[in-house]
Amino acid sequence: MNRAGRWIAALCTAAGLLCVPALFSLDYYLHIFVMAGIHAMLAISLGLIIGFTGQVSLCHAAFYGIGAYGSALASLTLGLPFWLAMWAGGLSAGVLSYALGRLVLRLRGHFLAITTAFFGVLVTVVLNNWVSVTKGPMGIPGIPRPGLPVFLGSWTTFESRVSYYYLVVAFVAGIAYLAYRIVGSRLGRALIAIRENEELAQSLGIETMRYKVFAFTLGGGLAGVAGAFYAHYILFISPVTFTIGESINILVMVVFAGMTTLAGPIIGAAILTILPELLRMAGALRLVIYGLTLMAFIVWMPQGIVGAVRELTTRTRTGKPGG
Amino acid sequence: MIAVFFQQALNGIILGSLYMLVALGLFLIFGILEVTNFAHGEFYMLGAFATLFVMTGLGAPFLPAVVLAMLCMAAFGIVVERVVFRPIVGKPLINGMLLSFGLSTFLTNAALLLFTADPRKIESEFAQVHLRFLGLHVTLERLLALAVGTALVGFLAYFIQHTKTGKAMRAVAQDRIAAQMAGIPVFRIYAVTFAIGSMLASAAGSMVGAIFLVSPDMGWTVVLKAFIVVILGGMGNIRGIVCASLCVGLVESLGGGFVSYAYKDAYPFLLLVLAFLLRPEGLVGGRKA
Repeated sequence: MNRAGRWIAALCTAAGLLCVPALFSLDYYLHIFVMAGIHAMLAISLGLIIGFTGQVSLCHAAFYGIGAYGSALASLTLGLPFWLAMWAGGLSAGVLSYALGRLVLRLRGHFLAITTAFFGVLVTVVLNNWVSVTKGPMGIPGIPRPGLPVFLGSWTTFESRVSYYYLVVAFVAGIAYLAYRIVGSRLGRALIAIRENEELAQSLGIETMRYKVFAFTLGGGLAGVAGAFYAHYILFISPVTFTIGESINILVMVVFAGMTTLAGPIIGAAILTILPELLRMAGALRLVIYGLTLMAFIVWMPQGIVGAVRELTTRTRTGKPGG
Repeated sequence: MIAVFFQQALNGIILGSLYMLVALGLFLIFGILEVTNFAHGEFYMLGAFATLFVMTGLGAPFLPAVVLAMLCMAAFGIVVERVVFRPIVGKPLINGMLLSFGLSTFLTNAALLLFTADPRKIESEFAQVHLRFLGLHVTLERLLALAVGTALVGFLAYFIQHTKTGKAMRAVAQDRIAAQMAGIPVFRIYAVTFAIGSMLASAAGSMVGAIFLVSPDMGWTVVLKAFIVVILGGMGNIRGIVCASLCVGLVESLGGGFVSYAYKDAYPFLLLVLAFLLRPEGLVGGRKA
C-alpha cells in the first residue's frame, strides 16, 4: 500500500469509528465497544512484548490490575483528577514491570512464560490479602468519573456511554500511534532483531537486555493506563478482573489475528470481545465451546488469521513469494 | 513451638511429594515434546474423579481404585497426545501453550458441567487411622501419600535409567532427529511419555482427593507450583525435581504456619526470586532432560 492509500484507509477507519454511536445507540452495544477498546489497548501493549520483541509474558493482567488499583487509589485517597491519577496507574505498573523485567528477562521461552505467570498469581494474592489498602476481595467502589476542564464547554464529566466511547477511541488511537512510531524506528528494528535471533542481535552490538527491559516496561506501563481507564469507566474494581485467566485472554487476542503486525492485536481484541458476547446464549456450555474453539484454532491456524490469509494469497498468486 | 515446627515440616514434605508427582509428568512432557502442558493439572483433577467414581461405583477399596484410575488416565493421556498435541509438535512454543490453555479450559468446564462444582471427598479407609510419634500427629492416609510418591519416583528413576524404553525417552529428549535416525519410534515415545505423565498426575490427584477435597477447579494452582518446581529443579534430572519439590512444599507449609497463611500461594514465587538473586547466571544449566 502506498502513502496515499494508507492515509485513505486511516481516514476511512476513523470516519467509521466516529459513526459507530449513531449506528449502535443501545448502551449495551456501546459498552461492548468500550470494552473492546480497553482490550485493544492491552493487546497492543502485549503485542510490543510478544509480537515484536518475542518475549512471552503471562502476567499482563497483573499490570492491568496494578494500573487500575494505582489510579483508583490515587484519585480516591489523594483526590487527584483522572488525568493525573491515570499517570499514577501507568507509572506504578511501569515501575513494577521494569523491576520484574530486570529480574526475569534473562530467562528464555517457556521459563520466562512460567515465571511471569507466577508473578501474575502473586499479584492476585496480594490484591486479595492486602486488605488495608486494596480492601481485598470486596473491591474498591465509588471511583470518580473522568472530568474535563470547564473551558471546553458544559460537558464537564464523562457520564454517557457515547462520551466514553469517544474517549476510548482516542486512547486506542494514541497508543496505536505510539506503537506505530516505535515499531517503525531504529528502536523497533532492534526489538524485531531480538525476536528473530537474540544471539545475532547481541553480536551486532544491540544490548538485548536493555531493549527487552524497555519493551517490557513500556508494555506494562501501557497496560497500567488501560487499567486506569477501566477503573474510571466501570467505577468499581476487584481482584477477580485481573487474574491469570485475563492474561491468557489478552494473549489469545494478540495471537488470534497475527501477533507480528500492529493491526493484528486490535482486530483480535475486537473479535474476541464481541464473539464471547454472542456465545452468551450457550449458557453453561460457553467456556467448553471457548476451549474447544481455541484448540481448533491453534491446530488449524497456527499463524493467526493474518498468517492464514497470507498463506492463501501466496498459494493463489503462484510464483510470488509470500510477505 | 518446636513440635509445631516439625509438624509443619512433615506436612510440607507430604505436600512436596504430591507436587513432585505432578512436576515429574510436566518435566517429562516438557523435556521430550517441548510443550508446556498447562492442562496437566486437569489430568490430576480427572485422576481424582476417576478414583472417586471407581470407589463409589464399584465399591473398590482405595488403593486398587487408585491403580485403576491411573490405568484409565494413562489411556486418556495417550488419546490426548495423539489428538491434541501431536499436530503442533515442533511449532513455536506459544502454540503449545495456548493449545494447553484451551484444553485446560475445556476439561475444567466440561468437568464442572458433568460433576458439578460441589467439592467432594474420597473416603479412603485409611483416613481414620491416626498415628502419633515423637509428639507428631499424622493420619495413615498422609503417610500413604508420601509412600506412594516415593515408590513412584523410584519406579520412574529405574524405568528411565535402565529399561530400553527409558533409554529411548532420554535419546528423544536429547535430540529428536538423531533418535529418529537411530530407529527410535519417536511418536510411540511421545505416547509413552504422556501415559506416564498422566498416571503420575492421577496418583497425586487421588491422594489429594483423599486428604483434602476433589473439585473441577483443583488443577490450576497445582500446575503452576509444579512448573515452579520444574524450573527450580533445573531441568537436569529427576533428583533436581525431587529436591525442588520438597523445598517448595516445605516453604509453603512453614511459611503458611509461621508467617501468614493467606499468602501461602505466593511463597514459591519468592523462592524463585531468591534463586534468581543467588544464581544470576540462570538456573538452567544448559542441559535438559
